Amino acid sequence: MALLEVNQLTKIFGGLLANDHVDLVVNEGEIVGLIGPNGAGKTTLFNCIAGFYPPNSGTVQFKGENITGLPSNEICLKGIARTFQIVRIFKEMSVLDNIMVGAFNRTGSAAHARKQALEVLDFCGLMPKKQMLAGGLTIANKKRLEVAKAYATGPSLLMLDEAMAGLNQTETAEAVELIKKIRKSGVTIVLVEHVMEVVMPISNRVVVLEYGKKIAEDTPEKVIHNEEVIKAYLGDKYHATRRAH
Amino acid sequence: MGFNKKYIWLGLGAVIFLIYPLIFTLPFPRHVMIMIFLYATLGLAWNMIGGYAGQISLGHALFFGIGAYTSTLMLMKLGASPWVGMLVGGILSMGVSFIIGYPCFKLAGHYFAIATIAIGEIAQVWMLNWDWAGAAVGLTLPILPESLINLEFHSTKAPYYYIAFGLLILGLLATYGIDRSKLGYYFKAIKGDLEAARSLGINVTKYKFFALALSAFFTSICGSFYAQYVLFIDPDSVFPLMLSVIVCLVATLGGVGTIWGPVIGAFILIPISEFTRIYLGGGGKGTDLVLYGLLIIIISVYQPFGVIGIAKRFRKKESA
Repeated sequence: MALLEVNQLTKIFGGLLANDHVDLVVNEGEIVGLIGPNGAGKTTLFNCIAGFYPPNSGTVQFKGENITGLPSNEICLKGIARTFQIVRIFKEMSVLDNIMVGAFNRTGSAAHARKQALEVLDFCGLMPKKQMLAGGLTIANKKRLEVAKAYATGPSLLMLDEAMAGLNQTETAEAVELIKKIRKSGVTIVLVEHVMEVVMPISNRVVVLEYGKKIAEDTPEKVIHNEEVIKAYLGDKYHATRRAH
Repeated sequence: MGFNKKYIWLGLGAVIFLIYPLIFTLPFPRHVMIMIFLYATLGLAWNMIGGYAGQISLGHALFFGIGAYTSTLMLMKLGASPWVGMLVGGILSMGVSFIIGYPCFKLAGHYFAIATIAIGEIAQVWMLNWDWAGAAVGLTLPILPESLINLEFHSTKAPYYYIAFGLLILGLLATYGIDRSKLGYYFKAIKGDLEAARSLGINVTKYKFFALALSAFFTSICGSFYAQYVLFIDPDSVFPLMLSVIVCLVATLGGVGTIWGPVIGAFILIPISEFTRIYLGGGGKGTDLVLYGLLIIIISVYQPFGVIGIAKRFRKKESA
């Protein structure tokens, strides 16, 4: 059964049609990449699923339950955790405390939350930074912490919004490893990225958005040869010259 | 070892404060200490919503006044023990905090602070015109025989001293409990980033309500104690904006969002106000306020984390 099912989701901001009847299915255990050029509506779709704002029409179903328009804290309780494109860590709190805030989603006991947070710290490779103030971390570690605290909420679906934007090659590779590890621990992942090189090797399926519409959905290998996708990313000209050869 | 050392210091502090009234038998030193304890407890109460949850309230005099008036009116109209009035006042304040929180928690940052100022002022104007509750004349508490149940002591300030000390311990324990539990972490998360907190499963409004209700309860208890201590209340003494400001300042000067910050703040601020009043007398009226203003500027410009922040910086230098 599908873990997440988005049906005909539409979101309008004023006169802008950010998502136009988008369908999306995420099965359990998958890594789904959500890609598209700037302004394609990836983050909007993401925010509608995570309860940041309600869609104008369409439904979001999670584990067979209608969660459309629920506030984000309730969606987190249901088992969908998200990260933010621009990291939103608690700068004045230590790295461990940041993760504990996430861990409290599943427990009321501080001792239990601390134990879980320590496990997540270790899992995400942030153990050496345990007592540091989160505000003092490097960008790469801030992004890692952003993932770690979402992961600590104990989700069955983790949605990562450009978790690797702004990282160098080594850092990106490390982040990809972490995502694979999280996937192996039994968490389904939806990935928003616009760096194709990152999404392609780890995604089971890739969904491509352009101008708010879904233009393709397939395995990475097929998507990169899809003419519409090439057109969306590289423009008509490239498309035309490619044909001429 | 650091842990044991901490307990030794705590024990030593407790002993010093317990024998203080035996050493200082004159009323004035005891009065200063009672005021320090009272404001430290008020600072701790304010710290729950303002320090931990980051919702700056400048209307806390409202809860102080509710506490003072509830216990006093219950004593005068129903003959109830001030202790019962204290508890009822605390619960009433929690109720009022829900009514205030409902519209005000939709406001963020400065707008929340402004709304709380307005509510505090409305309460004062209301009380100034409410004849049944004494209006502008205020209420003079009936002089009852000295006893713990009556919470009135006329021959010595020592019992007030110990009760105020007890309130402070209560406030510290509550703060400690918050600091180490889910509440504290969630309050801090709300202060840090509202949207991030929400995305981690925190029902932000609910926890803001918790913080304000707890804060209101403790502030209200202090109000009841104040009424029993001074034995006269009027809207100008228990509902003034200045009280809200001082309570906020006590916590901010010491260090917001910390357990000991408000206590340190009270130990610095209250003696300043008491002693300027002595040495400068009526002619120097307002000098303490000028000093407060100066302190606010210094804190906000140089050390937003308060005295605790300075102490931490020094400790870091030592260990480095």
